[in-house]
Amino acid sequence: MSSISSVLSTAVQSLLADTGALQVTNDNIANANTPGYSRQVPIFQEAAPANDGSFSVGNGVVLEGYQSVRDELVSNQIQQETQSQSSANAQLNTLQQIQPTFTTSTEDIGTEMSALFTSLSSLSTNPTSSAERQGVLTAGSDLVAAFNSASSVLTTQQAALNSPVDQDVSQINQLTQQIAALNPQIAELTASGQNGGSLQDQQNQLALQLSALTNVSTIQTANGETLTTGNGTPLVVGSQSYALQTATGSDGMQHVLDQNGTDITGALSSGDLGGTIQMRDHTIPGLLSQLDTLASQFGNAFNAAQAKGFDQNGAAGGNFFTVPATVAGSAGAISMAITDPTKIAASSDGTAGSNGNVANLSAVQTNLLPSGNTPAEGYANLVYQVGSLTSNANAESTATTASLLQLNDQLSSVSGVSIDQEATNLITFQTAYQAAARVVSTVQAMFEVTMAMGTAAAD
Amino acid sequence: MRVANMVPDMEYAVQQSQQALSAALQQVSTGLRVNKPSDDPGASASMVISLASSANVDQYTSNVSAIQSQMQTADSAINAVVTSLNTAITLAGAGSTSTASLANDQALAAQAQGILSNVISQANTSYQGVYLFAGSASSTPPFVAASTTYNSQNGSAAAPLSTTSPLTAGSVTTINDASTGQAFNFTAAAGDTITDLENAISAATAAGTLSTGTTATINTKGELAISSKSGIVASSNDPVLGSMRAGFGTEVPNTYAYVGNSTVNSVQVGDSTTVATNVPGDQLFTLGANVIGSLKGLITALQSGNSSVVAAGGAAVSAALNYVSQQRVPLDNTISQLSDQDSFLNQETLTLTTHQTALVGVNLATAATSLSQAELDNAAVLAAAAKVLPQTLLNYLVPG
Repeated sequence: MSSISSVLSTAVQSLLADTGALQVTNDNIANANTPGYSRQVPIFQEAAPANDGSFSVGNGVVLEGYQSVRDELVSNQIQQETQSQSSANAQLNTLQQIQPTFTTSTEDIGTEMSALFTSLSSLSTNPTSSAERQGVLTAGSDLVAAFNSASSVLTTQQAALNSPVDQDVSQINQLTQQIAALNPQIAELTASGQNGGSLQDQQNQLALQLSALTNVSTIQTANGETLTTGNGTPLVVGSQSYALQTATGSDGMQHVLDQNGTDITGALSSGDLGGTIQMRDHTIPGLLSQLDTLASQFGNAFNAAQAKGFDQNGAAGGNFFTVPATVAGSAGAISMAITDPTKIAASSDGTAGSNGNVANLSAVQTNLLPSGNTPAEGYANLVYQVGSLTSNANAESTATTASLLQLNDQLSSVSGVSIDQEATNLITFQTAYQAAARVVSTVQAMFEVTMAMGTAAAD
Repeated sequence: MRVANMVPDMEYAVQQSQQALSAALQQVSTGLRVNKPSDDPGASASMVISLASSANVDQYTSNVSAIQSQMQTADSAINAVVTSLNTAITLAGAGSTSTASLANDQALAAQAQGILSNVISQANTSYQGVYLFAGSASSTPPFVAASTTYNSQNGSAAAPLSTTSPLTAGSVTTINDASTGQAFNFTAAAGDTITDLENAISAATAAGTLSTGTTATINTKGELAISSKSGIVASSNDPVLGSMRAGFGTEVPNTYAYVGNSTVNSVQVGDSTTVATNVPGDQLFTLGANVIGSLKGLITALQSGNSSVVAAGGAAVSAALNYVSQQRVPLDNTISQLSDQDSFLNQETLTLTTHQTALVGVNLATAATSLSQAELDNAAVLAAAAKVLPQTLLNYLVPG
């Protein structure tokens, strides 16, 4: 049977429910700009009705709890896209450091190569001129410097990428420890039917930070999140995290090892770490190989042309460049073999005034090297390669940024806090609270009337 | 779709518009569409090739200018030789008349000697330190007065050279014969002695490279003496012999030997175009109709006073004049070709510049328009952001 007490109880429950709802609305507003925060909504449940004779009467509302609004699918997509973006950015950052070396200037390899051949052409008009001969030597030295510089830039960039590898692995280990620590707490909450709430948000953020570092796969289990690298190396299983290590390999580079000491460097394909390794172990070595091949073949071809002629003193032409025996490292090690301008083998008959061998030296510009290209074509291919890699990395970075924006918009549309919506909720719950409070006031008045019944005050 | 927060989209839009604005500004300020390889990898690679071509064309243009000056100097010298030969023909005409006196002929002979000296001077023309008619032996005058005897610097009565004196392996001893117009070169092999040099000279004499009677002996002063009645010029870089010096008073009048060579240098003035830059002195002055020989012959004829001999001498000089005029034609053609090539290279420069502009340049009018549009877009995005971002429902709710 309904009573004033039951009415009061219902109103009080309503007040409590609305207070709880206001609390979560307040929490949402406070965390409107917190990265990774998933808005929470109050779960209202109608209280079990009471039987009042032949009819049942509602018993008010119960605040069952709070539910975080998430979209796990979109969250996973964001993690994947973050891996791609970080990888692209890592590669783009390094390529942007390398690109100026291959940009046309007064000192790039292409310009210096041209200068060497034009100096030879100038020498042909006056083969006994010491000024013209010195011009050829200077041009040769400048070309050597250009090769050395380009090689130095590439090798320096490659070596510099070892530091980010160490840093990324250290960060990965910190993150996996934190994720593992959260797993049992979240598992306990979900086992009791509760929402993971802020703990889950924290873990999702940590997983996102981890995705920025390397390629990870996430599986939800009863014990929480299980994370592995792309090749299945475990990082987190339940409450246990598995640390990665770095060690210097025989190539002088930092290698990444799993907890058993197995080298997994090649399996890390995404994230900042994957992008860094891609640049260090594949992209830069590829560019260096092309550069070394160009320097080696060009130097040897020029020396062969020198050998066909005679220097200003009538002696058979010697090497113009000192080229290493092995192709690897040629660009960094190539140097001038002569410093005496008279050693330039311009003559074809041993007389100082002959320029007959200049044609052979000049022909190095147009003859095909063993690679199948002329020297200028070989360098142009390098320029194209660097430009293409940089352009592609930039495009990937731009595309993933746009994609992430869309995905985050999607996620935000589900999980994000809308100030407008929370303001509306404030009004809604405030109004409901006010209404429930009015009921309480009304019941209070009714109590007073009841208490006053049969007394002089009642009259 | 529920929109919770417009800030990220607005930030992205602002960033995009600012990037577009920055790119447009860079294009207008540099006039270039491609500033780095990643802007257009293909165009950047093509520019490498094109710039190399431009550098070559610029050098060809410089080469043309350098060669033109040199060849015009050579042509002027040949022109002076032609003038001298014409004068010599006139002298021959005067000396071949039956009324010419011996005294008159002697005077004419003296004038002819002057003409010969002038021709030699022209034949030894240099340009910026390079002797133009010496072939590739261009650091020394190609025509040297011949002497009957050349002696080695080394050797003395106290320390004479001997036939068994070993020569330095690789050293070269050269004899240029004024009569045959040929050069004898002896490169000493390991173990060779002066005897081997003497034998080689004898063989060259028998072969006709050197004039009959050319000998090499150790003289009373202990020096190696190389002798030839027709006149020679000898040189050696063998430190055992030292330099070769003409014997005092042994100069053969009106006789010169060619000590240059026959090498013709070529210079590239186009990707597929080379030009010969010199005419060897032997080709011009001693071979063929033999300009120098004909002048020497005229001098001798005038000194003889025999009018018919003088007439024959004049005919030889005429033949030499015709020969020189013919030899001059390729030189003049080359000078003309260089002028045409210069015009062609100017056009090539323009073509390459146009190509390069098409590859990496930007139409400034288009770039300016793009910049204006980018500025408008940026202003619109910023205005929209300023309008929309501060607005929430809270701005409209009345406190109470």
